[in-house]
Amino acid sequence: MAGNTLYIEKDSSLHRLHPLTKLSVTLFCLICAFTLPDLLWLLAVYLVILLPPAALGGLLRPFLKSCVTVMTPFVISLTLIQGFFTGGETILLEVGRFAFTAEGALAGLTAAARILLALGGALLLMLSTRPDRLMLAFTQRGLPNSLAYIVLTALQIFPSFQKRAQVILEAQQARGLETKVGVVGRMRLLLPLTGPLVLSSIVDVEARAMALEARAFSRPGRKTSLQVLYDSRGQRIMRFGLIVLSLGLIAARMWLIFYD
Amino acid sequence: MNGFRKEFTTFSIVLMAVAIAINIGAGQIPRMVGLPLYLDSIGTVLVGVLVGPWAGALTGFLANVVWTLTGLYPQAIAWAGVAAIIGALAGVFGQSGWFKQWWKAGLGGLITGVIAAILSAPIAAYVFGGVTGSAGTDAIVAAFRASGYDALFSNVAQGTMSDPLDKMITFLVVWAVLLILPARLKARFSGK
Repeated sequence: MAGNTLYIEKDSSLHRLHPLTKLSVTLFCLICAFTLPDLLWLLAVYLVILLPPAALGGLLRPFLKSCVTVMTPFVISLTLIQGFFTGGETILLEVGRFAFTAEGALAGLTAAARILLALGGALLLMLSTRPDRLMLAFTQRGLPNSLAYIVLTALQIFPSFQKRAQVILEAQQARGLETKVGVVGRMRLLLPLTGPLVLSSIVDVEARAMALEARAFSRPGRKTSLQVLYDSRGQRIMRFGLIVLSLGLIAARMWLIFYD
Repeated sequence: MNGFRKEFTTFSIVLMAVAIAINIGAGQIPRMVGLPLYLDSIGTVLVGVLVGPWAGALTGFLANVVWTLTGLYPQAIAWAGVAAIIGALAGVFGQSGWFKQWWKAGLGGLITGVIAAILSAPIAAYVFGGVTGSAGTDAIVAAFRASGYDALFSNVAQGTMSDPLDKMITFLVVWAVLLILPARLKARFSGK
């Protein structure tokens, strides 16, 4: 399963934390991202809350790499679009009748920092938590097992579906399907490529369902798990604290909106 | 609640997991042939039609959770609600018999696409500062902004340029698949 998701196997105290503890950090970052007022605050939370745990988990390089990969197009689009269209006093550059302003660029960077903080919180969770352990934490709190099954199975099988799409393309080309054609011709390609993918996978469904039934999948009652999650008093207090802090931030933000 | 229960059998639960993998696998086909489409909700629409609106909605929602967890597209989870509505609409159109004729299926896709575009725009405008982070769509947004429209309108306009066509093709593909799907398999689902 490891190769299909962002998860990186390591033995660190970050990895050993209860998934819900890490999820509460993720949610806290998400709430910070949309309540904190300006760029410096957003970057400060990113540096103070997200980077040290990432370093502690031995995940600093992949963490930063994923952040850069996802953020680059956002930073470019946001700086350009907001820089040109938000409006402001300090004109840095003029292109025809459009002015690129410092205020606009700052607004764009602030919007990008909000995305960065929310993304970083999610990446820290996903890089350091096995998806099955995350799902187990949810099912222990009452999420139906079948939902966890859907997510985990999809994560396990999607790479073979990507390969299958490639194989179907090659097989159809071998039968003479022309792929270097105009736009209308390419539209016509869609059915011979998607059709076999969908049909062959639906035929799989039956076999999978029977295998599950043979293993008492739909039997009601408690099920035991191979995984064991460890929780502690400290972590429970931390989760509670983060929730209280998050609610405080939301309340402060509301107060600012209504009384300012 | 009865309709909800009826939709969730072992068979349909497995179909939902496979449908999410179909979304991801089929989602790369437009790139392989060089078409500016997404085609990443074929599985979701299929579940909606075969099983029902609740199952379609759940598949759409979980598909975006899975996209996020794979790391292929971490921001997908922000659009999980829209994906759920696409699945639910496919289910409603399926139950109303719109997937029996090709033109009705196409029309249903068109309507779903317009609704998806309208619902996605506020997310792009307010959560992502008015962009989607992909060069093609952001260039279109920039063109509308340059013509003097605000962020929300520009994102609605961008969405209505791509979503209805994309969903129409998705619905038509599902219609065609249903035609050739063996009756033995179709009989196992409640929706059709």
